[in-house]
Amino acid sequence: MLTDELKKGSAEFLILSLLEAESRHGYELQKLIESRSDGVLTFNVASLYPLLYRMEERGWIVGRWVEKSGERRKRFYRVTPAGRTALEAQRESWKEFVTAINRVSGVRYA
Amino acid sequence: MPNDRFDWHADIRARVAPARLHPQDEADVIEEVAQHLEAQFADLAPKIGTGAARARLLAQLQGPELDDALARRRRRARPTRSRTWSVTSFARDVRYAVRSLRRSPGTVIAGTAALALGIGLTAVMYSIIYGMLVKGLPFERADRIALVYYADPAHEDDQIPLADFLRYTQQQHTLSSLGGYFLGSANIAGGEQPERVTAVRVTSGALEVTGVRAILGRTFAPNDNDPAAPPTAVLSYATWRDQFHSDSGAVGKTVRVDGTPRTIVGVMPDGFEFPRALTRLWLPIQTPTDTLRPGQGPGLTVVGRLRDDIEYDRAQAEFAALSHQIAKDRAPGTAERRAVVEPFIRGLVPGRVYAVFYTMLVAVMLVLLVACANVANLLLDRAVARTREIGIRTALGATRLAVVRQSLVEAGLLAALAAVVGTLIARLGIALFNSVMLKSESYFWIDIRLHPQVLAFVLVMAVAASFVSGVLPALQSARLDVNTILKDESHAASSLRVGRLSRTIVAVEIALSSVMLLVAGFATKSMTNLRRLEPGFASADVYTARVSLASRDPVRQRQFFEGLDRELTAMPGAKGAYLGSGFPGTGWGGGRVAVEGRVYARPQDYPPARTLAVTPGFFSTFGVPVRQGRAINSADVLESTPVAVVSESFVIQHFPKTDPIGHRIRLSGPRNDGEWLTIVGVVPTLFATTFAMHDVWPPEVLTAFWQERNLTSASIAVRGPPDVATPARIRKVVTALDAETPVYATAPMTEVLAAPTFALQIFGTMFVIFGTVSLVLAAVGLYAVMAFSVSRRVRELGIRMALGASGGDVVRMVCRQGAKQIVIGIALGFVAGAAVVRAARAALFGVAPNDPVVFAVVGAVLGGSALVACIIPAMRATRVDPLVALRTD
Repeated sequence: MLTDELKKGSAEFLILSLLEAESRHGYELQKLIESRSDGVLTFNVASLYPLLYRMEERGWIVGRWVEKSGERRKRFYRVTPAGRTALEAQRESWKEFVTAINRVSGVRYA
Repeated sequence: MPNDRFDWHADIRARVAPARLHPQDEADVIEEVAQHLEAQFADLAPKIGTGAARARLLAQLQGPELDDALARRRRRARPTRSRTWSVTSFARDVRYAVRSLRRSPGTVIAGTAALALGIGLTAVMYSIIYGMLVKGLPFERADRIALVYYADPAHEDDQIPLADFLRYTQQQHTLSSLGGYFLGSANIAGGEQPERVTAVRVTSGALEVTGVRAILGRTFAPNDNDPAAPPTAVLSYATWRDQFHSDSGAVGKTVRVDGTPRTIVGVMPDGFEFPRALTRLWLPIQTPTDTLRPGQGPGLTVVGRLRDDIEYDRAQAEFAALSHQIAKDRAPGTAERRAVVEPFIRGLVPGRVYAVFYTMLVAVMLVLLVACANVANLLLDRAVARTREIGIRTALGATRLAVVRQSLVEAGLLAALAAVVGTLIARLGIALFNSVMLKSESYFWIDIRLHPQVLAFVLVMAVAASFVSGVLPALQSARLDVNTILKDESHAASSLRVGRLSRTIVAVEIALSSVMLLVAGFATKSMTNLRRLEPGFASADVYTARVSLASRDPVRQRQFFEGLDRELTAMPGAKGAYLGSGFPGTGWGGGRVAVEGRVYARPQDYPPARTLAVTPGFFSTFGVPVRQGRAINSADVLESTPVAVVSESFVIQHFPKTDPIGHRIRLSGPRNDGEWLTIVGVVPTLFATTFAMHDVWPPEVLTAFWQERNLTSASIAVRGPPDVATPARIRKVVTALDAETPVYATAPMTEVLAAPTFALQIFGTMFVIFGTVSLVLAAVGLYAVMAFSVSRRVRELGIRMALGASGGDVVRMVCRQGAKQIVIGIALGFVAGAAVVRAARAALFGVAPNDPVVFAVVGAVLGGSALVACIIPAMRATRVDPLVALRTD
């Protein structure tokens, strides 16, 4: 149960982090998470879009259809100011969490 | 890899469709997911093969998590509550409605006027009901004030005999105070001028029930009811002010009531009127009660106040049980009577009064409904004129709700305006009603004003009216199909459908109006019958009054009345003077008679008759001829043979084949203790009112006033030119004879005669108003529909005329269309109206509930006005220039 919550929270955290620099579309997000986590974290349509739509509903991200010349229009997601605030908050608590875990378990980052 | 490119859209659509998203959102979701799967497939297929890749992706698509995503989209697709009903969007709708209504002042004026009339009439009716039946007594916690009475359909009299009352007082535990009273009047002397006032005889406890305390002194204590106690009195504020000049030392002083000096023990506060309006004096009941058995003693109206922890059903149960016990001690043979405890007004006001007023409320609500139908039609017209606009709004994404709301807001604005105007109308109506009703004193608590509750009712009515009149046009607009509208240049299809709805509304309006007009018609005919009625006696130039003697001395009484009769007859210019027990028409006494020589087995077999004791002046004053035998004359005095003059109706009933003269009758009926009266003459049957107006030509018996043993009061009538028969001159004659005897209830005979029909007249007049208003509304509604329909058919009519149709043909054609609604409406209304009139036939007078004349007149009036409403637009249609018509869009 705790891990489910953790995973869900962390997935939102990851998406927000990935969207912080530039806006991206759904499949791009899926591939980036997969490749950067070396395949540890995987998503598919059924797990990604509920997340995206929920975050959109919360006002953290906004999806827009963008048409680039010569390409099909795609739906790009970008972070809203509210999303940025949420991201900062999550970063803070994540840091605290990791530090705490480290202190308790004695694990050190390389 | 050509076979790598699957089209995912179909699979995704099948997966997404059950979620029933907004079409736009559905398209977005399908497109987004399709692109995602396409890209993923492109990556996956080379690695694991197209078949496996497709299977895997399809499996992902079936994942239940996707439902969650779709649900979120669906929530987004519907405008959220806050967005549709936000203040800003509402303000926008109101602004828009104001702008669009301002462009059509005709709609605003017609709609507001119709609704204002409806709301105004409804508010008047409701304020009457509220002030009379709902608001309650003007005392603290008035809902706890109860009326106790005997319910027994076999007895007219529901009062509680004094002896029974005393038993209840001793044995009951559910009422905190209990008192009884009976109404009467008394002569007051001691102040400026003798006065005949309403005086109420009470037991101690009766005034305490109201919770109001005396402003000076006290109210009655139990020992004031002791027969041996010195006589006391409690004054009303008005009596204290007028007779005792607001003397703060009045308590302890003496007031002469009916010649007896009484000690004033208290003064009640200003405005305190209990148990009826204009009560000026309260006197303790001092009847000896030692020898009374249950069922005996004067009949009392009994009031009580519920204990705080007791509800009506508990008190009711206790009194029912007590009445059962008391019945056992009653004289054998008397029927058992069951005591009922009810809230005061509920118990005092007869059920039929409730029925009449609530019927009238329903009637005015029907008028309001007609008004709503009119406004609905006006708005429907606008809706049709705006179909394109609505079509465009819908196409641009306005939801159905938004379109509906727009229409409701327009209706709401009209209703709001109408509520303001209607309140003004109600104020006028209430003022008018109060000025007429001031004459009624029986319901002292009546307080008809624009109470906050009435205003709240107006508000509710306005909201209901705006909903009723707005919802049809709104739904109609919302149902319109975007594509049809935008393609439909001539509005033919949409106006056809809306037209059908409008015409249905008009038919309903006509039906409602005909119900109302039928009731109005029957009420009017009843009133006319009553007014035109030949009562059998003259009432023009007759002035009436009443006197009551303070003196209890029979010799002095007789001297006074004989003197009065002589002086009145001698008044210069008087054509006749009358003294008697009452006035013909309204003042008949009643009872059962016995004809000598006939045998009556049971008490109810004794035939009923109306009676009146008259002086010889009766026949000249009221112009009553004698058909047979002689009139009552000055020889019929106490010492001579008791005589009677009977009416032709009496003769028909009791002496159909024999000469009545010389036969003897007795008025006491089953009691068998009266004197035998010898019939000496026959007069035509005279009009006699009864409450229900059923038999107004009953068998009648006139007796000789001078043969009455006990003369305490008399009705006086003087016939003469208006300057002779005046209250001032009658008063002068009376005062000259006895300065302490007041003259009261002065009125022209015509007014006396009109009094019993007063309620019927108010009722009838109100229905005439309701009927007329609804007729006008229905006619205007019909006119609007016809005018609208003609304006839509300009091109068609132009073509017809271009092809040779004459103006007459066009008028006939248009009218035929309207005639259908008129006929259907009238037919429906007549069926319903006939049922209503039949149910209310007790209120009719001299007209059968199926009277064809009334139906014919109402049909003609309705049909006529409806036809006019049709013909005007039809005539306009004939003036259409075919060339112009053909060029219009």
